[in-house]
Amino acid sequence: MALNGDEEDFEWEPPTEAEMKVIQARRERQDKISKLMGDYLLKGFKMLGDCCEACGTILLQDRQQKNYCVSCQELDSDIDKDNPALNPQAALSQVRERQLAAQVPAAAPELNGGPTSSQAGVSVPQPRPEHCEGAAAGGRALLPPPVVASPPPTASTTTLAPIRPPVCPQNSTLRPVLEEAEEAVLTKLRWATTQLQSSASLEASIQLCSLISSCANSLRSLKELSQ
Amino acid sequence: MVPLEQLHLSHVLQAVSALESIVLRSFGPEGGQVLFTRDTGQVMVSRSGKRILTALHLDHPLARMVVRCVWKHSTITGDGSKTFVLLLASLLRIIHATATKDPHMFQPHNSTEASEAATARHLADRLLEFALTELDKLIVLNVLPHGFRVSLENFTAKTQHDLSCQTLLVSFFRTRLGYAYCDFFRNLFCELLSHWKVKDDRPSFSMQFLNNSFLALHTQVSGVPVNCSRLIEGQVIHRDFATPCPQVRKQPLKAVVFNGYLQPKLLTTGDVLELRCGDKVTEDRGIVHFSSWTEKSVESIIATLQSFGVSVLLCALKQSSAVLAAATQAGMCLVECVSEEEISLFTQLSGVTPISDCRRIHPEHIATLTFCKPLLLGAHRYVHLDFHDCEERLKVKPCSLVICAPSEGQADQHACAFQDAFRMLLTALEPVRKTQTALEETIPSKKCTSLHADNISNGTACRVHLHQKCVTETGCVISAGGTFEFLLHHALHQYGHSCSVSVNTSAVVPVSQLLEKALLSVPRQIYSHNLKHFLQAQTRVVALIPKQPHALSANFIHTEGPLGDGKLSLCSCENGNMSLKLLDLGLESVSCKYQLVLAVLQCLTNLLRINMVLRTHAVLHTESHDSLNAHSESSEGEDED
Repeated sequence: MALNGDEEDFEWEPPTEAEMKVIQARRERQDKISKLMGDYLLKGFKMLGDCCEACGTILLQDRQQKNYCVSCQELDSDIDKDNPALNPQAALSQVRERQLAAQVPAAAPELNGGPTSSQAGVSVPQPRPEHCEGAAAGGRALLPPPVVASPPPTASTTTLAPIRPPVCPQNSTLRPVLEEAEEAVLTKLRWATTQLQSSASLEASIQLCSLISSCANSLRSLKELSQ
Repeated sequence: MVPLEQLHLSHVLQAVSALESIVLRSFGPEGGQVLFTRDTGQVMVSRSGKRILTALHLDHPLARMVVRCVWKHSTITGDGSKTFVLLLASLLRIIHATATKDPHMFQPHNSTEASEAATARHLADRLLEFALTELDKLIVLNVLPHGFRVSLENFTAKTQHDLSCQTLLVSFFRTRLGYAYCDFFRNLFCELLSHWKVKDDRPSFSMQFLNNSFLALHTQVSGVPVNCSRLIEGQVIHRDFATPCPQVRKQPLKAVVFNGYLQPKLLTTGDVLELRCGDKVTEDRGIVHFSSWTEKSVESIIATLQSFGVSVLLCALKQSSAVLAAATQAGMCLVECVSEEEISLFTQLSGVTPISDCRRIHPEHIATLTFCKPLLLGAHRYVHLDFHDCEERLKVKPCSLVICAPSEGQADQHACAFQDAFRMLLTALEPVRKTQTALEETIPSKKCTSLHADNISNGTACRVHLHQKCVTETGCVISAGGTFEFLLHHALHQYGHSCSVSVNTSAVVPVSQLLEKALLSVPRQIYSHNLKHFLQAQTRVVALIPKQPHALSANFIHTEGPLGDGKLSLCSCENGNMSLKLLDLGLESVSCKYQLVLAVLQCLTNLLRINMVLRTHAVLHTESHDSLNAHSESSEGEDED
């Protein structure tokens, strides 16, 4: 199928195991969403022509004219469980992965080319950070505080250059990172406030309020860290 | 609310997947039923895909479009709504996967989503094109040989071989109404068809007539056990007498049909009637004088009818009390507000024309009836009449169907199943479309030497004979349970291989592969409860397929002459024993399946051509049938490529 598709700028390679896992997880999530939507439709909910602003799922409306998004309100977000800020398991696994990666010789330092090429070199498959944090940042603006779990070995900092560096650290590099994080959270908070002022839909306002509260929580944890 | 919305492939997929998840619960022999409840407390249980989908509250334009396509397909073929949605969803999923994997396949676009959408659209167009040109050939060559041919001749003969239309009907009723009543309804259906069969004419003609006038030909009765369903002679008019019906007279009765009002209704609200009496306008006796004039005209009409000996009046509209009084006085039975379908059936069976101008009543407006009496069915009283010389004139014995069920919803369900059986049979009797040249290309004459020695002497005669036989090949059925899908999957697979070997562009290959993968989803869902059965079924079917690609000719036997003597023609004699074993799963029609695949591909193409949704606040068009939600707040936008 890809016989004609080879162009100079885009070489298609078969997905790696981690990508396969991600694709599989996404497919299962979509299946779950469809099944839940089917359940609700059979219960008498109405399928609207609108999509949820947070996740893009089709909205349902119950008999009392209240809008309902199946994935936001019922399924746990598939990215929350990978977010070290919210899930201690994810934090631990991130630490372990860094330790494993640190044992790989520095012959695989070329991690700038992009996600696919980076994984071609490293023997231990790492989940791409953008899946964990990048997607979350788009909707919720949660940047993980750099040190949530135990401090990883210092040698790991040089071998890793992921796209968004939640690299952990030593205390001297902590402060500017924290400041950056605080600033980003504050910016998002400001944005959410302006959106909330102009928002007309109930669902959007609820989402914005939850965003503001999570921004406040992250600011609080950042402040605790800096102390 | 955003007035203009870009539509992405994932939206389409999500909407259709939600519908698929609903339909899957009732799919297959082990599928469940959906319980419908209304706020009034009415409850109904159904597994019909069409009924489930049209009962959902859907405001999403794509979902509504899919349901509309399903509805339209079901009106024509009578079956296959759940398979439709299933096949559509799996095709969409495969196209989505293909498009996201390699979106730059055809032309570069600004964004990934736009290029994915364009790729998907292109794939769908190519799929449709492939289906319209190549699919019928593939089916004829690879699926039909494993099936059987049924015909409508000798329909009710019980002594016939098991493989007949009756088996097809039983399978159909079993999927719709369950095991309990499938045989009973099959017998009722056959009886109805035998009564209405016009002698020396094609049976499909009477079936088409029955399908068109089914509304007028059946009565639903609730509160009575299902076994009380029966046929009664003549026609039942679903209204009661408006005037007291005198004692039944022995001699044949005469009846007329009125399309309009007997008493001219010249005054409606808002009209102004100016009455003149000579040159003066007199107000005090004007209207009284006028209405007495109209009553006199009614009396003269009744007198004319009495002179013709008419005693039954059937009216399409509601008549005034003066008319009713006059009719009662004259001893005539009057039935008003008769529906259009019933009037049309009456006029067809009796051979008269309805009276439009009451002052001109001629003998050709007068019908002769054997009897006309009230009939009590369930909780309602209807008018029951029969025609005097219908059998000599039209060569049919008209009869009407009474469908009984414990509840209204169930009676409606049985009636729908009955009507869908007509549609299914009509579709089954249509030939799978074939082109003349296609067959001649693919069957070289040298292969004909392995044919049975019965009728064939030389290669050229074989080719012509084969072609003739195929063109008249209608009513092909195959055993149910995924056989069609397995066979077509195998055929597409081989086609794909042969195409990649030949010089064709590689672009052709993926299209048949897409369809091939999607087709397997149907039997997978049928056997979803047990994967082992799926594999067993697949092995069984694949074992039937002969090794050489063009061994078609070896499987044919030719029957003698036309099929008027009621014999079946078995298309595959060598594998007869094996195929017979597959029959306990029931039968399904190949033509219906082919129509289904085409309809799915057309719906898919239409779905993927939409790339923008425009929201309006006015109702743009209300669909003609009532079961879909009439209000819509958004409509499909134009293709903005």
